[in-house]
Formats: sequence, structure tokens, C-alpha cells
Amino acid sequence: MNRTNALDHGVRYVRTSPGATAVVAFSAILLLDLLAKLVGFSLGPLTVAGIDLGPFGGEMPFTRLVSYTWDGLVIGLVIGLASIGLSLTYSILNFANFAHGDYLTAGAFSGWAATYIIAGLGGLLPIVESAVHAVTGVGQRTIRNTDLVSLVLLETPPGTAGANVWLSPIAVVVGLAVAVVLTIAMALVIDRFVYKPIRGADGISLLIASIGVAFGIRYLVALVFGNSRRIVTSTDQLPEVTLIGTRIDAHEVTLVVVAILLMLGMHVLLQRTKLGKAMRAMADNRDLARVTGIPTERVIRTTWMLGAGLTGAAGFLLVLSQAGLGFTTGWRLLLLIFAAVIMGGIGSIYGAIAGGLVIGLASRVSLVWLQGDFSSFTSPAAFALMILILLFRPSGIFGGVSTA
Amino acid sequence: MSGAQASREARLPDDEAGLLSVRDLDAGYGDLQVLSEVDLDVQDGEYVTIVGPNGAGKSTVMKSVFGLTTYMGGTVTFDDAEIQGSNPEDIIHEGIGYVPQNENVFAGLSVQENLEMGAYILDEVPQDALDAVYERFPILEERKQQTAGSLSGGQQQMLAMGRALMLDPDLLMLDEPSAGLAPDLVEDMFDRIDRINADGTSVLMVEQNAKEALRRCDRGYVLVQGENSYMDDGDELLGDEEVRQEFLGG
Repeated sequence: MNRTNALDHGVRYVRTSPGATAVVAFSAILLLDLLAKLVGFSLGPLTVAGIDLGPFGGEMPFTRLVSYTWDGLVIGLVIGLASIGLSLTYSILNFANFAHGDYLTAGAFSGWAATYIIAGLGGLLPIVESAVHAVTGVGQRTIRNTDLVSLVLLETPPGTAGANVWLSPIAVVVGLAVAVVLTIAMALVIDRFVYKPIRGADGISLLIASIGVAFGIRYLVALVFGNSRRIVTSTDQLPEVTLIGTRIDAHEVTLVVVAILLMLGMHVLLQRTKLGKAMRAMADNRDLARVTGIPTERVIRTTWMLGAGLTGAAGFLLVLSQAGLGFTTGWRLLLLIFAAVIMGGIGSIYGAIAGGLVIGLASRVSLVWLQGDFSSFTSPAAFALMILILLFRPSGIFGGVSTA
Repeated sequence: MSGAQASREARLPDDEAGLLSVRDLDAGYGDLQVLSEVDLDVQDGEYVTIVGPNGAGKSTVMKSVFGLTTYMGGTVTFDDAEIQGSNPEDIIHEGIGYVPQNENVFAGLSVQENLEMGAYILDEVPQDALDAVYERFPILEERKQQTAGSLSGGQQQMLAMGRALMLDPDLLMLDEPSAGLAPDLVEDMFDRIDRINADGTSVLMVEQNAKEALRRCDRGYVLVQGENSYMDDGDELLGDEEVRQEFLGG
């Protein structure tokens, strides 16, 4: 009897929600395909309407799934970190900041320039020693004779500069700090001269202004650093471990640790501190915050500082793990960041983190199925997943749970 | 308009003007003027109500006192300091608490956090004020970890008042405290306002429920089209034929 009931139930479900059924069926096929791949079962190459879809199943070692997942986690944490900033400015200033990706680029370039200077000159100690020598004559000049300009402009080969968390950890830490501080400074200056004069304007005007800011930053960066994409970090002597067939290097571990610490810090700040509560209050209801005596301009400034700081850190860490950096790095990432924020539920930082992880994982794990010619379709796969999630939860994963 | 009503003044003599004294106030939103030459007084410990038809500008009077509208002229004196044209942040420091009509709690924050926000301008949350609010509204203490958005309408109204009371203001301004409440809760809400007033806080209230409000208050103002037409004891206004006809539905 139960089986007929279940069957009836199933038939009714298919009739009432064909869309959901299609999604469930498609997911089931993908899952079966994954299982088939893992056990090494293969069913001839499939061709539909002249398009070669490759074989059902095939062969894929389990370790590859693990390494896709790890890669997805790493990129997801960076996207999540950058998404927090976008989500904060969205919920407190009420507009979608299209310049957010370029804040990330600016943070990455400024941070790595600082790392290059320190690492390229031989470390912090020689720099201080030489400075003391230059001013007082005490001690000696110990810095390397290097071309400072090409260090600042990130033109020195990464191996020569020693941009590596193992060989010059202090340079990397200082670079991270510089990325945070300079991105904050930039955000505050831009807020003062662009956004503050039009604070009362509607979201669309602010959004368009932010597109202008985005172009401004992007081409300023291109003007200074040039428009070529370069490899910035060096993996020379970088320690790495192999877990379940997945190579995990020190750069990735640094990224994961720093990103998680920053996220935890953000959580504590929002939930425990007076300022954080005021930020949540303002995200909730700006007019009431004013009536309550919350200094709204100060909260806005703090929001920019936190959002930009996290974004600058995200930019620096992104380069640390992915090595490549160009003046469009942040701009390219912006769509994924937006996707993460929207998927998580606009305005929720926990949603932004969750959304970032889902987007990151989807864009890497989808490589399980997107092979050969299709392997460049990982971003569309992530966006498709976002659309699917929004179809079933229109306000996002954490939508309706307001957390600032 | 009969002779008796025409002679009625809408302002108190200056020597009787007390805690809050509004004189010839013009205010509005942007270029739109809503209030013209409004006079209003609240004496120390007094309970004053503003009634009037929809769109008369009742809420605007309160918002203007609190610095939330565009100031266009006249004076607002509170506790011997002129506050017209000041920011809400500064007016809170003077000792005025304001409870807006709609969306008057931070829905995503817990009850306790809402109350903490009420004391934002202080360095530390005053424990005695928090205890006093919880004593006044015990249901808030029971639900202090819940989000404000999960409270019922009546409880949210209590929370909004509690938030405004965190700084122990000399004057509490309430914009339609009974709006949206179930009928059996309205009486309870008015009783609570009576007690707040009895404990020494002056109250200025705007109410749709004019009959009940006038019965409770010490003095009432009738506001019509942005100008105040009458001022009298609440009971006198209730007994006034024209006020009854025009605004209280006979």
C-alpha cells in the first residue's frame, strides 16, 4: 500500500512541479555519471544532434574530485571574503557598488608592490638597517642593489623578487597589511569626493556613479602597472603536502587561514561590538537609526573601511593562491562576487560567505562533467546553479534572515 | 465658527510655556511647506495630544520638533534651549525621545540589542535604565534574545517605547501608538502611556483614536491643514460641538 501511495505522491509531484522534477532528474543523472566515473564504468561516446557529449561515466580517480573540491574551497573563500564587502556596502548604503571588483584589483596591486619592495630589497631588517646607515652613518648598507622601480611596478621576475610566503613571510604579511590599508584609504577618499555629495540619491544614480569609479580605478591601475597580465608569486622552495592525492601548498593554506580568521573577526564585530550592532541597525532601518541617535555618517565610514579592507585582503590573497594578476582581475571576478551576494541573500554577510563558497565549489567541481571543449564553461555552470537556487529560494540562501 | 471658539487661543501665555514651546513654526519636506505658524506647548509633566483629520500634518509637527523635516521658520524651545533646525542626534542629547509610527524597531536585532541601541549615545548601556524598561514591560525581558521582528505588533510598540525610554527623556513623543494594534490591546497601550506620564515623563502624542486620546490627556490641540485651530483641555475638546462634528464623527 505504501508503495502505491508513494507512487501517487510522486506522480502528483511531477505533475504539479515539472521544473523541480527536471532539476531532480538532471541532478540524479549528474550524480550517477559521477559514480560511474569513480568506479570506472563507461557507456560509449554519446552524440546528440551531432554534438559529441563524450561518454557517460568514464574514468576519473577519486583524488581528482578531492582536488577540484579543494580548489573550489580556496577560490570560494576569496569570493566570499570579497562578497562580504559588497554585501555590507549594499545593505548600509543601499546601492550595488560596481567599482567593488576594482577595489580588489587596487588592493592586490598595492599589496604586492609592497611585498616586492620588501622581498626584493632583501627583507625588512636590511631596509631598516640601511635606512639607519643612510641617515646616521652607523652600521652599513645591506640592501640588495636592485632596480626599485621595476620592483614597485611588479616587473621583476617573481623568482628574483622572492615573492613567496616561505622565503619572505614578513614581506607577505606587510603586503597584506598594505593591501588592506591602501584599499581602505582609497575607498574613503572616493566616498568623500564621489558618494558623499550624492548620499541622498537613489540607488540607480549611485550605481552609475560607481561604474564611473570602476573605470577610473581600472585604467589608473593600467596606466601605472601596464596592461599585461603577469605571474606575481613564485613557488620556489614552497612547502607543500599531498593529502588524498591533492597538492596543498603553503600559499593556499595561508589563504584559507587568513580568510577564515577575517570572517570570524567580522562575525564577532557585527554580533558583539556596539559599532557592529549599529551597522546592523542601520542596515535594518536607516531612518530609525538616525532617530535613535546612531551617528549614521560614522557608521557609513566604518562600513567603507571594513568592506574595502576585506576586499583588499581578498585581492592580495587571490593573487597569493592563483599567482596571476592583471588590471582586469577584480573586474572579471566581480560577476562571481555579485552572484555570490545575490545567491546568499543580499545584505547578509553569512549569505555572502555561503554564496561565495557555493560559487567557488560549483565553478571547480563542475569540471567533473565539463571536460574537453566544455572545460571553459565553469563560470556559466556556477551562474546556472545560482539561477536554480534563486528559482527555488528567490530571496537567496540567507534571504529574509537579516544579519547585516 | 461660533464666538466662543473664535476667541480660543492656540497658544499658552508665555509665562505658562514650559518644557517644550513651539512658536510660529513653519516646516515641510524639501520645497513643500506642510506646517504654517504652528504653536504648541508641553509643560513639565504634562500629557498633550494632537488630533486632527488625515493629512493635517500631525506627524509632521513631531518630526519637525525632532529635526527630521526641512525647517522654514519660527522657534522650537526645549528646556530653555532653541533647537529648531538641529539634527536628531543633537536633539536626543537634549532629552527628547521619539517613537515613529511605522517600522519603529530594528527587526533583525534582538530585543536586548534594540534597547542597547536606544542608549547608543552613552558610552555604556545604563543598567538601571535597562532594568527599568524590563520592569515596565516584563514581556520584553522574557523575549530579550528573540529578534524584534518576531514580536507581535503590541510587543513591538512596547519595545519601541522602551528604546526611547532608555535615555530617560524629559519628553516622550509618540506617533500613533495605537495604530495597527488589535482593539483589545489599545486600552492596555493607553494605560501604559498613562503610567509613563505618571512616573514623571512629559508626553506628546499624535493619535487617530482621538476620543480615547483626548479622554486621557491633559490638553489637546486640533490641527487642520497644517495650522492649529484649537487648544483646550482634552475633556473640553471632547465636549466641543464643532470638534465632535468635524473630527470625532459626531
